[in-house]
Formats: sequence, structure tokens, C-alpha cells
Amino acid sequence: MRFRFCGDLDCPDWVLAEISTLARISSVKMKLLCVQVIKDLLDEGIDYDKVTKLTSDAKFEAGDIKASIAVLSFILSSAAKHDVDSASLSSELQQLGLPKEHTTGLCKSYEEKHSALQEKLRDSSLRLGRLEGVSWRVDYTLSSSELKEVNEPTIQLRLQAQGAESDTTETTVVSMTADKFRVLLTELKQAQAMMNALH
Amino acid sequence: MMKLLEKLSPAECPKLLHRVVDGLCGRGYPRRTDYGDRWSLSEWTELMNALPSLFRLAIGKKYSDQEIQELLADLDSGHAEAILQVVHSRQEEIRHALVERTNAVSSTQLQDFNWQIKLALSSDKLSALHTPLLNLSLDLKENAIQRPVSIEMNREELQTLISALEAANKVVLQLK
Repeated sequence: MRFRFCGDLDCPDWVLAEISTLARISSVKMKLLCVQVIKDLLDEGIDYDKVTKLTSDAKFEAGDIKASIAVLSFILSSAAKHDVDSASLSSELQQLGLPKEHTTGLCKSYEEKHSALQEKLRDSSLRLGRLEGVSWRVDYTLSSSELKEVNEPTIQLRLQAQGAESDTTETTVVSMTADKFRVLLTELKQAQAMMNALH
Repeated sequence: MMKLLEKLSPAECPKLLHRVVDGLCGRGYPRRTDYGDRWSLSEWTELMNALPSLFRLAIGKKYSDQEIQELLADLDSGHAEAILQVVHSRQEEIRHALVERTNAVSSTQLQDFNWQIKLALSSDKLSALHTPLLNLSLDLKENAIQRPVSIEMNREELQTLISALEAANKVVLQLK
């Protein structure tokens, strides 16, 4: 069977197996567990003490806790990745044997955070460099050893950009004549107009 | 050493001089082979040093015609006149080249730039990414060495860059 939340592929066996682990805790507690897992996915920090408390009734061992966090992470991030609506997710999870009350709780949490999760996934998608900061200075050159009376503006730009390997920041300092600067600005604005027209 | 120029007739002079100015403006100097065996290698080198520095001096120091003629005192009047003519007609271009050289003093210069817009469709994180990205590639020149720099920007980052450039542009416009 193929599932939309798995990207129209089979559901991985381990997910199938751990869905029964999820069914061992109450639906209310599972919903609260979902909230913690979503926090983790959004980099807001998961509270492991809370997770332990939530699962203590069901006598979860460390392995069960890890498995339930892993399976919820998979379901939530994979559904967000493939842009599955919560109704479809609900029916697919029930087909996989998750009890209805559990499914409702999970899907409710998912629906609330659907766009936040997608935004997070969009942000963490591969980027080959990123602009981090721009500083500029406009100079007016008066004279030089080459030319007695220059009287021309020059623009100094400092661009801080992240390289293709994350956590390397490269700083570029460049100067340009006013003419070149104007061409650069005009073309970037053209590019921006095209980019904005894409939506 | 300007005397070496007299190996050409005054009528042939302008062509060589214009090509020297072309070289000064970054378009390639004339080659000795184009002029046969008229000059020895050392004479040619000497001439190719003297002529560009003469043009740079004449424009850079804003010499009057009379001052230029004084510099060319040992040259006969026909050749001196040819040089003056070239100085006059190429004044703006030489000045522009000198402004470029001024800008190259102790700073990395922007030679050229290119850009490209791409629509990122899908990634391992999100199957429908649909994010436009701009690649800006800058060709920088630092001490005659070219170095490319490439920056990838999304819509927000491009907006940051454009806002910064526009603020700078405002200042530049006020200067004019």
C-alpha cells in the first residue's frame, strides 16, 4: 500500500511496528507528546522530563520513548514534507492501525502547526550560500598619484555571505565606480521584479 | 627616447599612438611584429614605456598644450603635433582609464557581474519548495588577479541587498 504522507511510497516497516507502541499510551497523553515532538522539529526544544512523565503511566522504557518520538517525528515531518492535509493523514494513519482518538489528536496538532512545519522545512532546505550582511560606504575621491583631479564617487561594499558549506562565512570587500554601481543596482532590481512576479 | 617615434612618418604615427591609448584603456597594446624590424626589442620596450606614461602624465596632471610640447622638445613638430592630436581626441577615455586605476589603488575592484534566477522546485526536506533564488556572481580584480565570488540569495536577502544599495545610491545621486 502506498501512502501520501510517505511520498506515495510504502510505509516503512519500523513506522508500522511503532504505531502499536503509540497506541499503548492514552490519546490525551499522545497529543501532548505530539506537542513536544513538534517543538523539537521546530527547534524550540523538547522537554524530556515532560516526555518521561507523559509516558510513565504506560510503563514505557527508554527504548519505547525513543521509538515513539522517532515515529511521531517521521509522521509529522514526512506529512509536512509532502503537504498532506490533516484529513488525508487521519485516514491513512487509521488504515495503519492507529486508534481513532489517537489519530484525531495527532492530526489536530499537525493541522495547527502545518504551515510552521513547512516553513521550517523550507528554511532548512539546501542552500548554496546565503547573504548575511551588507555594509556600504560612499567615498568621493579627490586626487591620486594617477590623476590630479579625480572628483569621482566610489562605492565600497562589504558582503558577508555564508559559503556552500554551512558555518563558513566569507566576507567580500569590493569597490566600484558610480557607473558600475548603478548598473548593478538596476539589474538587481530587474531580477527582483522577475522574482516577485513568480508568485 | 621619444626620438624613437621618428622612425615612423608623421602620417603613420596616429595609428600607433591610438593603439597605445587602447592599451592604456585596457584593450591590448600594439605588437612589435606589426611594425616589422623598425625597432629593436629594447627600443620597442622603451617606446612602449614612454608613450603610455606620457599620455598618463598629460591627462593625469592636466598639462596644457604648451607643457606637453615642452616635454616633447626633442621631437620634430610633425610628430609632436600627432601626439597632441591623440591626447586631445582621447582625453575622456584616458581620464576614464586613470579613474579606474585610481580606484584600483589598495582596493579590490568589481570587474564584472552576472546573475541568474532559479526556481528551486523540491528538496530532500520539502517536496514542493517553489522558492526563487538569485545567484549573483561577482568578478573581482585584486592586484591584477581575478577572483570570482558567488552568492545565493532568496527573496528576503535580495531585498536586504537592494535596500542597502539604494541607500548608497541616494548619496551618490546627491553628489552629482
